[in-house]
Amino acid sequence: MPGRYPLRWVSAGHGFIRRMTLDFLASLCSPGVLCQILVGLSRTVILFIVASGLSLILGVLRIPNIAHGSLYMIGAFMAYTVSRIFGGGITGYCMAILLAPLGVALVSFIIERGIFSRLYEREHIMLFLLTFSFALVFGDLVKMVWGAEYRTVPLPAFFQGSIPILGLPFPIYNFSLLLIGPLVAVALWLIVNKTKMGKISRAAAVDREMVGAVGINVSLVFCIVFVIGCFLAGLGGALVAPIVNVVLGMDHTLIMEAFLIVIMGGLGNIWGALLGSLIFGLTQSLGILVWPQFGIVFPYAAVIVVLSFRPTGLLRSTW
Amino acid sequence: MKKALTIGMCIVLLGFLGVSLSYGANTIKVGFVDTYSGPASVYCFDVVDGFKMAIQAINAKGGVLGKKIEYTTRDEKFNPATGLAMAKELVMREEVDILAGTINSATTLAVSDFAKKEKIPFFCTFAKSEKITGEMGHRYVFGVAENTRMVGKATAFAVAKKPYKKFWVAGEDYEYGHAVGEASWRYIKAMKPEAQLLGQTWWKVGEADLAPYITPIVQAKPDMLYMATGGSGNLNFLKLAKAMNLMKEMACFLHTSIELSNLQALGKDAPEGVMGTANYLFYYPETPENKAFVEEFRKMYNRPPKVGALYGYAAAQLIAKGYQKAGKIDREKFITAMEGLTVDSPVGKLEMRACDHQLMLPMFYGVTKASPQYDFHIASDVMTIAGKDYLPTCDEIKKVRK
Amino acid sequence: MGGKKSIIILLLLAAVLAFLPFGLPRFYTYLTALIVTMGLLSTSLNFALGYGGLYQLHHAVFYGAGAYAAAVMITKLGYNPWLAFIVAPLVAAALSLVLGIICIRLSKLYFGMLQISLGSLVWAIVYRWYGFTGGDDGIHGISVPSMIGSSKGAYYFTMIVAGLAMFFMYRILHSPFGSTLQGIRDNAVRSQAIGVNVRRHQLTALVMAGFFAGVAGVLFVVVDTSVFPDMLFWTLSLEITIMALLGGWFTFLGPMLGAAIIVLLRTFVSTVTEYWTFAMGILLMLVILFLPEGVLGKVFEIWKRRASAEDRS
Repeated sequence: MPGRYPLRWVSAGHGFIRRMTLDFLASLCSPGVLCQILVGLSRTVILFIVASGLSLILGVLRIPNIAHGSLYMIGAFMAYTVSRIFGGGITGYCMAILLAPLGVALVSFIIERGIFSRLYEREHIMLFLLTFSFALVFGDLVKMVWGAEYRTVPLPAFFQGSIPILGLPFPIYNFSLLLIGPLVAVALWLIVNKTKMGKISRAAAVDREMVGAVGINVSLVFCIVFVIGCFLAGLGGALVAPIVNVVLGMDHTLIMEAFLIVIMGGLGNIWGALLGSLIFGLTQSLGILVWPQFGIVFPYAAVIVVLSFRPTGLLRSTW
Repeated sequence: MKKALTIGMCIVLLGFLGVSLSYGANTIKVGFVDTYSGPASVYCFDVVDGFKMAIQAINAKGGVLGKKIEYTTRDEKFNPATGLAMAKELVMREEVDILAGTINSATTLAVSDFAKKEKIPFFCTFAKSEKITGEMGHRYVFGVAENTRMVGKATAFAVAKKPYKKFWVAGEDYEYGHAVGEASWRYIKAMKPEAQLLGQTWWKVGEADLAPYITPIVQAKPDMLYMATGGSGNLNFLKLAKAMNLMKEMACFLHTSIELSNLQALGKDAPEGVMGTANYLFYYPETPENKAFVEEFRKMYNRPPKVGALYGYAAAQLIAKGYQKAGKIDREKFITAMEGLTVDSPVGKLEMRACDHQLMLPMFYGVTKASPQYDFHIASDVMTIAGKDYLPTCDEIKKVRK
Repeated sequence: MGGKKSIIILLLLAAVLAFLPFGLPRFYTYLTALIVTMGLLSTSLNFALGYGGLYQLHHAVFYGAGAYAAAVMITKLGYNPWLAFIVAPLVAAALSLVLGIICIRLSKLYFGMLQISLGSLVWAIVYRWYGFTGGDDGIHGISVPSMIGSSKGAYYFTMIVAGLAMFFMYRILHSPFGSTLQGIRDNAVRSQAIGVNVRRHQLTALVMAGFFAGVAGVLFVVVDTSVFPDMLFWTLSLEITIMALLGGWFTFLGPMLGAAIIVLLRTFVSTVTEYWTFAMGILLMLVILFLPEGVLGKVFEIWKRRASAEDRS
């Protein structure tokens, strides 16, 4: 209210806020923080690849796919096996990146045609729990096939070492992830928005009955979307395998984060998944600088804040 | 409503069909509760494999007091509520004579409390919480594996003669990490009053990318970095240490960095020059006992033994000799016989200390180095630290149990 | 369905349960107490999920809150255990109210995901606050009054408390409040149109569900004298939901049956193989594919069909 507070207090307050913001921005530019941001971004890429697959499946098929984390884990283990078959090194790595996601896509194709397609008419919570039963089954299946030992996918010599960014060593592989991420995002965008299949799937997400009435085989569309989504999960697992331990239980850690990202970003929205991954990755890496003990809390807090102001997610969701 | 109740009763009755037939009193049954799925399981399989190898030999010689030793396992999947329920099932339904396990400290503490109430001996075969034989120790629990207090004291012993003055502690933000970091620093400071702790860094358990945490540490320039990680956290650190060639910037110390579980997983990608401690190395000491142990294990399981195998093997020897000394299958006599008992093992004679029921294993200190002989790195410049030198004193234990 | 027959069967069941500790080995006393505790928890979940139609995806938080409240009050604050047992469910209900107020504005899956986020926050705090909650080691050796400390004592205490809780939940769900709640579940817009305060009803249902989950938490403390942070983790929430689904989530006793099946399965399958999650996954898949109403629901369906066939003949 004008006249309520003396003018000099107001201007002093403004000056204070301005100084705080500039100080904050300046501190953001310190090498440690910038390095932290870069690391957060490389983590974002993996989260984005997995979350975008989840978002697709949730947006178009309306299935909350809890088995997505298990497919990510299977992707990582398959990458290990393929890399071993081709003798490690750069060939092994490239073949792994190519074949492991395809393997995961095949698995998902089998379960989609075999079981999921029969249940599209059911309640969401039933599908949610069916995918959970798959997660249980896959968890033990991976143990049966690969055993309980830790596996590592050897990092090819090409990617080893680090490059100095602002004087601090930044691992080369993480840097290359920063390049791969946007490529995948663009490729996905092209598929969803520019291809005929993409347009049909977006329509089916909004009104599947109408799409079916027009004469399009909705079941086939769903199958393709599901397989692509699972392919992305497998790709995320294969990409992350060289820098992380390929081990039983990887599925649990990732699945909750992926879901929260998808909800934050808006269901079925690829850019929403990207935005959500960015927020998640960055709040985690920066939160550690602010309050190391409770760093894990920051992404969850971010989700709560976002959902409080935009209950249906940041960007438009398909349903 | 009545249909529901009828069905319910049928299910309940079906459940009771699972009543196990009594095995008769002709065996000594040991029940293992442990994690056999998920990331921790790689350690636990070695425990039960070492145990199995030992009891096969014992049973071949006629068993103990004319009875064969048998064992059964339950997979708690790293969930303490499940682990506790399984321990209860082993005691109340399977009627085991001895409980053993687990790698999860929370489960171990809960089962230990249960064992105290049930008055049944419980062997802790992997969990590292110092509370197990420390604050919450009692007559019925026996610690076979080392605990965080011991690890800390061994670390201090190992670096006592080194010229490091400035230290940094970093690790995973959970009970084990904090306990081992705090214990190490406490004992280092006690042995070197001039030591300085420049700072601490903690990240969430399982964090894969440690670069953002390690980089500021490099900038702070400590003399030695003490790593307080466990399980897969060890691998994440070791990979990064190699990528950033951390050992050039400062000394790095990690408990179990020289142990096979970690080095085998990394293969040729493991870093060289990382200091560490471990309770078992299959290639050291090169005594006939150790060689025979490794040979037998290799023949049976087609792989070299890791530290878990020693724990399992030692537990079996303790159980056999304990009953032998007691003279009859009586729990109280068994426990009394166990106190102060010495058994043979691949690493020499081991004593089960009477004051706190902790097995006095030797600790080996070494530095990682590539090996022409194996696909993985091994420890070089190995130094043996005797049990009496790095176990907390009985007085210390008495004080914490107050 | 004859009312008299139901009473007779109920009395029969009560008699079986009353004399169970004397007829069977001690293990079954413990196991039954555990099953009833989990069954109570699962029924309290179904209060919100099946009858309220709310996507209660992180119900375990309230169970863990009740258990930890009791544990901390007894061990760290030195309260009288009986007092702790009464206060703990109130703490769980209060937490349920707080979380409910924040989440209730959202609908369906978003409600569930926000609840998971908030619940995970609570878990993270419990997991890291070593000084107060014992951190990831949990709290053990909680001293319970000697009267209910023994195996039999804990069993009877659990039966009585759970029985009362189930009775109260049943009465609430078959009262006007319960009918309104189900009406809101089936068609919230229409309920709103006839003047029902939808939000207030749902919030009340959430608080009640949280309260009874807290009661289940107290029972766990009595039976096992330990608490672990895993009790607040989202995997347990999923497990409880499966119990409700398996048994039949549109019936009152379904979740109890589901709890019995899951606990029995885990206990006995794990003695035979280490792949018991695999077995559970397959079982769940079969139930979802062939018994959409859950085991109990399917049974009801068969009985109803047979009854109507008899009527016609």
